[in-house]
Amino acid sequence: MNGNYLLQQLINGLGLGSVYALIAIGYSIVYGILRLINFAHGDILMIGVYAGFAVVMVMHAPFLLALIIAMGVAALMGVLLERVAYRPLRYATEEATMITSLAVSIFIENLGIMTVSAQPKPFRVPEYLSVIHNWGQVSVSNMTLLIISLTIVLLLVLVLFVTRTNLGIAMRACADNLNAARLMGININVVVSVTFAIGSALAAVGGLMLAGQYGRIDPLMGFIPGLKAFIAAVIGGIGSIGGAALGGFILGLAEILLVGLLPPAFSPYRDAFVFVILILVLLVRPSGLLGTGEGRRS
Amino acid sequence: MSIAKLTFLTVKIVFVHDHREDFSCCESVWLTLHKKREELKLMKRKVLSITMLLILSLVFTGCGNQSNDSAQNSSDTIKVGALFNQTGDQASLDVPGLNGFQMAADEINANGGVLGKEIEVIAIDGKTDQNVCANGASKMVDVDKVMAICGLADSNYALAAGSIAQKANVLFLTSGATLPELPDQVGDYFFLVPFGDNIQAYAGAEFVASDLSAKTAYMLTDKGMDYTMTLAKFFKERFNEINGADSILLEDSYQTADVDFSAQIERLKGLKVQPDVLYVASDPSKCGVIVKQMRDRGITQPIIGGDGYDTPLLTELGGEGANHDVYFTTHASLENPSEKVQNFVSTYKETYGHEAENAFAALGYDGMYLIADAITRADSADSAAVRDALLVTEGFDGVTGKISYTDGNRVPNKSVTILTVEDGTFKFVKEVLPE
Amino acid sequence: MLNQRDKKLTLVSLVLLALVLFSLNQFLPGYYLRIINLIGINIILVASLNLTNGFTGVFSLGHAGFMAVGAYTSALLTVPIAQKASLLPDLPLWLMNIQLPFAVALLAAGIMAAICAVIIGFPVLRLRGHYLAVATLGFLVIIKVLLTNLDDFTRGARGISGLPGITNSWWVYGTMVITLYVLWRFLHSSYGRGIMALRDDDVAAQALGVNITNHKLMSFCIGAFFAGVGGALWGDLITVISPNFFSFNQTFLLVEMSVIGGMGSLTGAVVGASLMTILPELLRNLEGGISLMGVTLPPLYGLSQLILAVLVILVLIFRPQGIMGRWEFSWKHFKKHNKEEI
Repeated sequence: MNGNYLLQQLINGLGLGSVYALIAIGYSIVYGILRLINFAHGDILMIGVYAGFAVVMVMHAPFLLALIIAMGVAALMGVLLERVAYRPLRYATEEATMITSLAVSIFIENLGIMTVSAQPKPFRVPEYLSVIHNWGQVSVSNMTLLIISLTIVLLLVLVLFVTRTNLGIAMRACADNLNAARLMGININVVVSVTFAIGSALAAVGGLMLAGQYGRIDPLMGFIPGLKAFIAAVIGGIGSIGGAALGGFILGLAEILLVGLLPPAFSPYRDAFVFVILILVLLVRPSGLLGTGEGRRS
Repeated sequence: MSIAKLTFLTVKIVFVHDHREDFSCCESVWLTLHKKREELKLMKRKVLSITMLLILSLVFTGCGNQSNDSAQNSSDTIKVGALFNQTGDQASLDVPGLNGFQMAADEINANGGVLGKEIEVIAIDGKTDQNVCANGASKMVDVDKVMAICGLADSNYALAAGSIAQKANVLFLTSGATLPELPDQVGDYFFLVPFGDNIQAYAGAEFVASDLSAKTAYMLTDKGMDYTMTLAKFFKERFNEINGADSILLEDSYQTADVDFSAQIERLKGLKVQPDVLYVASDPSKCGVIVKQMRDRGITQPIIGGDGYDTPLLTELGGEGANHDVYFTTHASLENPSEKVQNFVSTYKETYGHEAENAFAALGYDGMYLIADAITRADSADSAAVRDALLVTEGFDGVTGKISYTDGNRVPNKSVTILTVEDGTFKFVKEVLPE
Repeated sequence: MLNQRDKKLTLVSLVLLALVLFSLNQFLPGYYLRIINLIGINIILVASLNLTNGFTGVFSLGHAGFMAVGAYTSALLTVPIAQKASLLPDLPLWLMNIQLPFAVALLAAGIMAAICAVIIGFPVLRLRGHYLAVATLGFLVIIKVLLTNLDDFTRGARGISGLPGITNSWWVYGTMVITLYVLWRFLHSSYGRGIMALRDDDVAAQALGVNITNHKLMSFCIGAFFAGVGGALWGDLITVISPNFFSFNQTFLLVEMSVIGGMGSLTGAVVGASLMTILPELLRNLEGGISLMGVTLPPLYGLSQLILAVLVILVLIFRPQGIMGRWEFSWKHFKKHNKEEI
């Protein structure tokens, strides 16, 4: 176990963490405003990725275009979903909306299986992304570099958006107090739609990165990353953008480092270790790392 | 009780009331909101009741239809259950399985059926859910009165459904589960269509030792699956027998849901003595990914795996990496020029518009023909008689090789095919016959 | 708390239930009995989930974990010794040579689950809302990882088969009646009032002397106990258990039943569990390719899940508090009703 090995694991962990972070932000900002745990988030990601896949495979479009299409389609789906399934339930309990989102998730997954078939499809990225750089003992692919840098850029853009634009400030006002924001003349529906659009678009980027790195997509691909991103968002303090990003990176690093550093005999227990760590974090910070308040609306 | 109730009431009156006051400032907003919600509620109520009615009527027509069908056809058809997971995680294995099974049934019916009767396939989706699989098997046995059930590529689900068939003395053929101890675990009505994992793992170990002259090996196993665990266990057993107890240099593992193998690869690269071959026991969706990630990171040793590799995913996901020294043991080579195999390949393409996704299509196909063959030989569609006939199947010529159940063994004695990848297509290497 | 008349009515309905079960057992094919048993087991599981999630406001996603603990405990205690020797050769000797009556195994299953609930609940129950949900989800993951890797006791991912299959309607519905009665008594005890006060306003409840940790832990343990019992019955019904069976989907399905029925009501548990067990079976008939008015539709696998998902969403849009909400069945309703009629 030398320094290079550790560095390699760190980079791998950062790559995975970036993906979780991107997906977790969507969970977090939606929760911040609506107190809604959107379990269909991972499935919207899947739709976005399939849209990107169609563009790449059928039209042989450049990867960048696929990225934009995936973001656009996912954003559209997110907005549509909110309008159809969640808006009628805006004043219902958190449990009711959570179950609704679960039902939506089941709906999308099965519709996916029925329309695009359950067979996993290969997802190839352009050659320039699979180039691997070897720096000493450490090897990094362009894909990993792209994931990490794109995540950081998108995070910065998002932070600028919520601090510098009217819409962003309206979003934060809604997260702070939905009713007060309404009284101040903010159009809640617009804000909620924008929130869903942003969250879904970011998730689509995360999904596309995941698909690019692992080379395969299937209709159920969104579930596990979605669940992990939810966990990441909670660890970071759900409702907080920075918290979601932090939680994502911590979860990604924990998963990779635990497999990398534990002796092989223990690596099957990795998920258990990850969750023990997460529970410990929660015990020390019961509202997540960067969370404030007690996680429920008075 | 009275104290508790008092507590409860006091809590409600004192504190809940206070909360309401917080909102009094925005009373008008609440009022309009309330009004809007009431209107919405009325509309929703209408929509809901109409939908409910529609769905209920659909359900009942569905039920009605089915009972009609079964009443009409019960005497002049032979009912066979097809229990495959059409949705959920297992769908990528079981959808081709049902396709193959259904195709075989259609072929048989087009050629006049069995014993002059048509085969009626009762298909139920197991949904990759143990409850649904068990309920489905139970429904086939008790309500539809099938004489045999075929399906389920995963041993857990096959166990759950198989025990129900066993209890009712209905034949159960698993189209894809390869755990060799399954028949003993379930009972005397449970058969495997594919070979047992021990056979293919032994064949794999013997192949690398003799043809690739490997002395040492590295193993990577999916810890979340019985299939991969069994493969790994038997590969290790035979490889140790051939090359001695220290011949496995590292045994590593991952979980089924993992998609990133960099940590394992780093550990492999960190080995002081590099192994001659890598045995990677993985399921269809992971093998290509693992091969790609290994080759991308400069690991060049031959990789060998089990029948899970036998899918286009290996080449599509493995990309260029899969073309270099990747071998696997599997059920059949679709390049086999025999009429049986070529007929299967072309009919499948005609029927479903694409080539067979994986070996499970061929196994489902063989499963149906095995049942039909046993019915013909038993000259009866009675489950017990067919079971006895199936038990003495000798040299049945299937797409996946010659199948015999010898010495009362319900795991077939079948040849193992070893394939490799060249230029993105599978190439036949050799066929190994178990002794 | 029951007056003489209500007691009589309860007794009569219990006898009626027994009679109905008896006659169903005589006439119905196994498949329908299986569904009926599954309904009973799901009622046990959902009622126990309602105790924690609905009445105590401790939103747990770890219910399948407790089921798993119960199912494995009872399996290890009831699988015939000969079978154990071949399936689990590495079991410790004392466990190997033990085969207990089903009732004792059920009790042990409940107790093991309750012990797990204390271990996990003691640290975790101070969390709230989604933080608690994630922690309990973590418990489920940890249990699954342990079951997959403790090969000597569980055979890992291959699962244990050959459970004796003792579960029948009498076991299921007997346990169900006991479960509902115990939960009902608990909810009407001072503890029960306490946990409901906690749910509605924990600060106020605390001010009035309700010990938060104590109460939450108590209800969490009771919930886990019956989840363990339900899991044991369920495992024995399927006769095969494997770590894969206690999945996120299983937990989510139970939560779904609970929310659809109404989380704050035992009646809701009965309604939610029955509905969500029967509906998929009914809807399945639509999938196998039906012929409607001469037009034959091809099989559409996944259709039943689609319809069920839409139904769930519609029910929740319509009744966000679940079908029953917090309404509880009681003979009193009939009394009032009768009086009005007269």
